[in-house]
Amino acid sequence: MQNKPVLLTILDAASIIVLGIATYLALVFAPTEAVMGQVQRVFYFHIGTAWVGLLGFVIAAVAGVAYLITKDSRWDRFEVAAVEVSTVFFFITIVLGSIWARPAWNTWWTWDPRLTTAAITELIYIAYFMLRKGIEDPEKRARFGAVYTLLGGISAPITFMVIRLFRTIHPIVIGSANANQEKMSMTGDMKIAFFFGLFAFTVIFIDLIWHRIRLGSLEEKVEQLKLKVSM
Amino acid sequence: MLLETTPDTSGYMIAGYVFSFVVMGIYVFSMYLRNANLKRDAETLESLQAEEAKKASSPKKK
Amino acid sequence: MMDKKTATIDSRPQTMNRPSSIVHRPSFVKATLAIVQKDLSAEFRSFELISAMLVFSLLVIIIFNFALELDIKVRESVTSGVLWTTFAFAGTLGLNRSMSVEKDRGCMDGLLLAPVDRSVIYFGKAISNLIFMLIVEVIVLPVYSMLYNVNLFRLDLLGVILLGSIGYAAVGTLLSTMSAQTRTREVLLPILLFPVAMPVLLASVKACNGLLTGAEFSEVLTPLNLLIVYDVIFIAIAFMVFDFVVEE
Repeated sequence: MQNKPVLLTILDAASIIVLGIATYLALVFAPTEAVMGQVQRVFYFHIGTAWVGLLGFVIAAVAGVAYLITKDSRWDRFEVAAVEVSTVFFFITIVLGSIWARPAWNTWWTWDPRLTTAAITELIYIAYFMLRKGIEDPEKRARFGAVYTLLGGISAPITFMVIRLFRTIHPIVIGSANANQEKMSMTGDMKIAFFFGLFAFTVIFIDLIWHRIRLGSLEEKVEQLKLKVSM
Repeated sequence: MLLETTPDTSGYMIAGYVFSFVVMGIYVFSMYLRNANLKRDAETLESLQAEEAKKASSPKKK
Repeated sequence: MMDKKTATIDSRPQTMNRPSSIVHRPSFVKATLAIVQKDLSAEFRSFELISAMLVFSLLVIIIFNFALELDIKVRESVTSGVLWTTFAFAGTLGLNRSMSVEKDRGCMDGLLLAPVDRSVIYFGKAISNLIFMLIVEVIVLPVYSMLYNVNLFRLDLLGVILLGSIGYAAVGTLLSTMSAQTRTREVLLPILLFPVAMPVLLASVKACNGLLTGAEFSEVLTPLNLLIVYDVIFIAIAFMVFDFVVEE
């Protein structure tokens, strides 16, 4: 195992600091939302985790394609890292959304496009890990994993478009909104907390992925050692 | 006036933040645990390999 | 002379070390049809797969009848959902079987050794899987019509079902090729397939529902377009990545 790079140590410290600041901004600094009250503060982490969650799944699909082209196992480790970290963050996103929805929509869950797509996406990536678990040969595992992340990455947006045909009540935070949807309006301080949340989770995301990649190379090393010893 | 109509939802907020930190904590801890286990495995395997190499080299060269 | 020419035109490496002049490389369509024919003739000898899928479908419909209390009012709005659930489950059954047969009897290795492009194998298997699904659907539809006194034999409805089945078989064939090579095999296929095939199922349900409830055509058009988009994209992707899931 190579020694921990200095940059990674710095990134670790930075992650903890930005997480602290983001929490402070979200819980104390940002004003209380008038209609929904305190629970609206959940939204800063909800968006932050959702952002890195989606980013990770896109990265994973790209890394999958890169693996299929180059057959370099580093891409595979990168892909696994991205999927795993994103799955964790996306899980937080879904639960936070659910906690927010309870007082706001008076229900834990609705079959809205975003919620449903999020749930299906999460299931796709859980299936991804089940697929990987079922294959012993590391090279084949990497190949199948890459193919599956590619399929998942493409089907998720189409799922979203299809479900949107059914109905939606989710507020649109960024981008154009339908006229009949409730729109969240943010004041200046809210925007600071919002954008800092995005930044903070990006830093944490990079840090965790880096750690997971290192873990992946350690896994590979142990696997090879096992093979050598058993021979 | 407006503040009066604002519902008290801080319980949900606290639950949300506690949940986020717990999940992140568990994840980081699981990563630490897996790392420690793998390191131990690697060390055991390496020592095993070294032993075998010694055995193989002393009586007859492989 | 001719043989030599075809061999030089073809720059792909030969799968076997036979002298290249002997290797006869059939055309893409011919080779695909040969695989389809092989699957169909094997199936029509025993009807193993189709009969299993059929009986299973009928059982699912019977369960739905009691689970949903399919009286006349409810029926109209849930028919397309019931049908697609049935097709999806029966489809997985067929996909699983058709791939594990190849794997168990070592046919897959034979196919891989054949001097044809890998995508030929994919299209061959996908088409035969599609045909099995269609056969089951063509039998289930009139039975359902009879049992519940709704007319499901409409050209527009059949068109939607065909489009949905194409998408489902396209992804299903790729994923069943993968799942057949894992330790958990049969268990894994629905877990892999359903979330990825979700757009097909939902769009088909939406489109069929629109047709059955007599909605305006513009309402049906959007899911129909998404269905076509999905079909095209996923056939293209499966075509490109199939090489990677059969590589040894």
